[in-house]
Amino acid sequence: MAGGSESRSDRCYRALLRLLPFDFRTEFGTDMEEAFREQRADAAPGKGAWIRMWWTTVRDMVRMAPREHGSVLAQDTRFALRMLRRSPGYTLGAIVILALGIGANSAIFSVVNSVLLKPLPYAQDEQIVMLEQRGRKADTLNSHFSAPEIADYRTRSHSLSALVEYHSMLFTLLDPAGAQRVRTGVVSANFFDFFGVRPMLGRGFRADDEKSGASAVLLLTYEFWKQRLQGDPAIAGKTFAMNDRAHTVIGVLPPLPQYPDDNDVYMTTAACPFRSANAADRHWRLMSVFARLKPGFSPESSRTELAGIAQGLEKEYPANYPKTPGYTVSLATLRDELTRKARPMLLLLFGAAGFVLLIACANVANLILARMSRRGKELAIRSALGAGAHRILRQLVTENLILSLAAAACGLGLAASSLSVLKQFAGPFTPRAQEIGMDGRVLLFAIFCAVGTAVLCGSAAAFQSRKDIPQGTREGNARAARLRAGLIAAQVAFSYVLLVAAGLVTRSFVQLQNVNPGFQAHHVLAMAFDLNWSKYREQEQIRVACRRLLERVEAAPGVLSAALASGFPLDPDAMAMGRWTGRFRIYGRNDAQSEAPAPAAIRVVTPGYFRTLGIPLLGGRLFRESDQAGSAPVVVISAALAKHYWQDKSPLGDRISFDGDKWLTIAGVVGDVREYTLDHDAPEQVYATLEQFPSASSLLVRTDADPATALAQARRAILELDPQIAIRLTKTLDEVRADSISPPRALSRVFGFFAVLALVIAIGGLASMLALSIQQRQREIGIRIAVGATPGAVTAGFVRQGLLLTGAGLGVGFACAFGMSRLLRSLLFEVTPTDPLTFAAVAALLFAAAFAACVVPARQAARVDPQIAVRSE
Amino acid sequence: MDNQTPLTPAMFHVLLALAGTEKHGYAVLKEVHEQTRGEVQLSTGTLYGIIKRLLADGLVTEVRHRPPTEEDDQRRRYYALTPEGRSAAAAEARRMEKLIDRARSKRLLQSLESA
Repeated sequence: MAGGSESRSDRCYRALLRLLPFDFRTEFGTDMEEAFREQRADAAPGKGAWIRMWWTTVRDMVRMAPREHGSVLAQDTRFALRMLRRSPGYTLGAIVILALGIGANSAIFSVVNSVLLKPLPYAQDEQIVMLEQRGRKADTLNSHFSAPEIADYRTRSHSLSALVEYHSMLFTLLDPAGAQRVRTGVVSANFFDFFGVRPMLGRGFRADDEKSGASAVLLLTYEFWKQRLQGDPAIAGKTFAMNDRAHTVIGVLPPLPQYPDDNDVYMTTAACPFRSANAADRHWRLMSVFARLKPGFSPESSRTELAGIAQGLEKEYPANYPKTPGYTVSLATLRDELTRKARPMLLLLFGAAGFVLLIACANVANLILARMSRRGKELAIRSALGAGAHRILRQLVTENLILSLAAAACGLGLAASSLSVLKQFAGPFTPRAQEIGMDGRVLLFAIFCAVGTAVLCGSAAAFQSRKDIPQGTREGNARAARLRAGLIAAQVAFSYVLLVAAGLVTRSFVQLQNVNPGFQAHHVLAMAFDLNWSKYREQEQIRVACRRLLERVEAAPGVLSAALASGFPLDPDAMAMGRWTGRFRIYGRNDAQSEAPAPAAIRVVTPGYFRTLGIPLLGGRLFRESDQAGSAPVVVISAALAKHYWQDKSPLGDRISFDGDKWLTIAGVVGDVREYTLDHDAPEQVYATLEQFPSASSLLVRTDADPATALAQARRAILELDPQIAIRLTKTLDEVRADSISPPRALSRVFGFFAVLALVIAIGGLASMLALSIQQRQREIGIRIAVGATPGAVTAGFVRQGLLLTGAGLGVGFACAFGMSRLLRSLLFEVTPTDPLTFAAVAALLFAAAFAACVVPARQAARVDPQIAVRSE
Repeated sequence: MDNQTPLTPAMFHVLLALAGTEKHGYAVLKEVHEQTRGEVQLSTGTLYGIIKRLLADGLVTEVRHRPPTEEDDQRRRYYALTPEGRSAAAAEARRMEKLIDRARSKRLLQSLESA
């Protein structure tokens, strides 16, 4: 080979040598290069021999490199395990701290992974979209679709395929065991084919099942089948009475997250009496619509097309689309829909968990630094014996990696054991909560965390070791002390940010808890029941049944008052099923025809409703027994409604109408009630009396003692009246109220847990750093005491040192918290993200904890015996 | 030998190459190649992997004294058998001899020789 290629070959061989471990190269590299050079010089001439030689060389090198790396790793591991066994306190402490950090992150990641990252368990989930019809001008709620609208969009849209409809209703299902209230999903026949879901038992819906006149069939959800029908394997073919018809069970669905509602059973649109009766009514908007984007269409292009179709319909049917809200149609992908509520909260929690891990890392890095200063002699000896800086670095990283991997294993255990709590926690935020679990991705994440922490914790220590081993000692110690102090301040800063977040969320929760909902929940029992609508068809039947029921309940001992109503405040089902609202006109006001009438929430009640719930009368009168079916119809309105439409004038005596035909006189004004959620203003409400508008689905009972005692009586009263009445909820209003704020409660608990964890780790770190510093400065302390320093002065010195660090950490933490707390804005209720009280209280708490953590070791310093201290060096 | 790596054929070849006199790496490669008439060809990587293990097991040692200046190359390192290495190689040779004897007693080798 020519001279030029000779040197190129050398370079290539040297590059190849880089595959081998550093130590191997250092030991044999030059020798190998020389041997290779000679081998090459002696090689037989010709390309064939040249290629053979290179082939053998490269092949053998590639084969041996992993083996050599493995042997170094095995050696390092054995040595590291020996070193770790020698200091069990340090090893255990570091593993516990890192396990908490990695565990918290793995737990939250398993939620993020299951809810946000994993594809939905539906076929081609990314194509599935949900249509929404809403006000263009006002940000009104999704108003759903009517059957004629669905038919229009099905024929007119070119960007969407397979439009399927869905709505949910409560029906009474009768079986030999009694009446059950079942939440029923009413769907297109191809609904489950659309989602790629096959029944695990029996068959799915067919097109014939949706034709009018088809016999009614039911698909059961897995949960309903398991829990209410004990997983009967022969369920297919059995019949149940529902809505006065026999419904045949045709199959059971597999366990799946259901959206938008957790239904018990599913039927086709043909089987729903309400849907069938209103199939031609364009106003009767109840249905949700799912569709698939056709290939080549993006959500944006489809949105444009849908808005165009909506405009066309508006022109064709002006009476159905009033100008005021200005209807438009848009869409959102199902995945966004399912995770919209959970996403910001989960990302915040993920951030919080990340902070905990950072604090844990800073803490363990400090432990490592402290240990390094004790191992200085050992490292110096190893260095003197020829272990290169690289070798020592590798050894330190191996030690940290072993610690972090052990911590990751423990952390994964912690995360796995918290899965049921996590599911419970995520339940109110997303229908995907039941999918939360651990998989390969969570495992990889934990390993990633472990490697990351090993690098983070180890690099500081390793950097320190590389600089100090050759020179050793005082300068190095000073640098290590500065680094340790910086790490402590960082822990304090991170803890402060977390504590502020937890403080804000908790304060917001407390505000929510203290909100005046407008009613008195204490000692009130709420029961939600449903009269079988097919049995109580006539208004008079309902009136009679309600009167009899109320009489029985009111006569029971301990009952102060009772009422029947079409709903009650904070009813979870009312929130899930939508609000009962109507649009009304005020008599004598000339609204332009194009303007939509004003909306109001409607509630039908018996006269005792206001007394039972403690809603105050503000003007006029409440309902009386004399407000009967035959007498002039009256309503009572809420203060918010009165203020909105009458401002300072009195609405009493004015008349409103919902249908433009029947005019209702306003008899009274009552206080506002937060009906739907405690964090939203009270809706503008119209109350009508049950005698005049018969409808009842709730029984409310105020008792003089624990309302739970009235439960059995109330239940008996309902079932005695009609054993076919299905009771779907019995709770005290206090419980209902507590349930309504369970998501913020869960959030404040998780944030609180992370913050306390962070505080404990950081304060523990501070105390141990001071203790170490005192131990290292024994001699100096001894001398100071010997020359007359008082114990108080020594203690004060160390406390000052600790508090200075805390102060520095607080300063940085304050700036970070101030900048980051606005991320919490959407989760806060009546608390600003920079709430001064929270910021100050958290700072005081952290300062007090730091003070306590400093005093204990600092007092130890004051007890140093000068003679022993001076002699010990 | 109990705690040491069992001898692979390649290690045995290296020990044999060093049995005569101390040698540097390339000389070992060459000796093995020549003694086996090219049947065994070690690459530099394999050779130094083996040398590292033999050094660690104490079967081979690096020789401190250098050959006469005109033959020496400063970049080279020389290796020699230790007494342990010698006995390990001898033990391996005896083991092989026994094997060959057994093969002979089974008339396996006769047929090879006559062939």
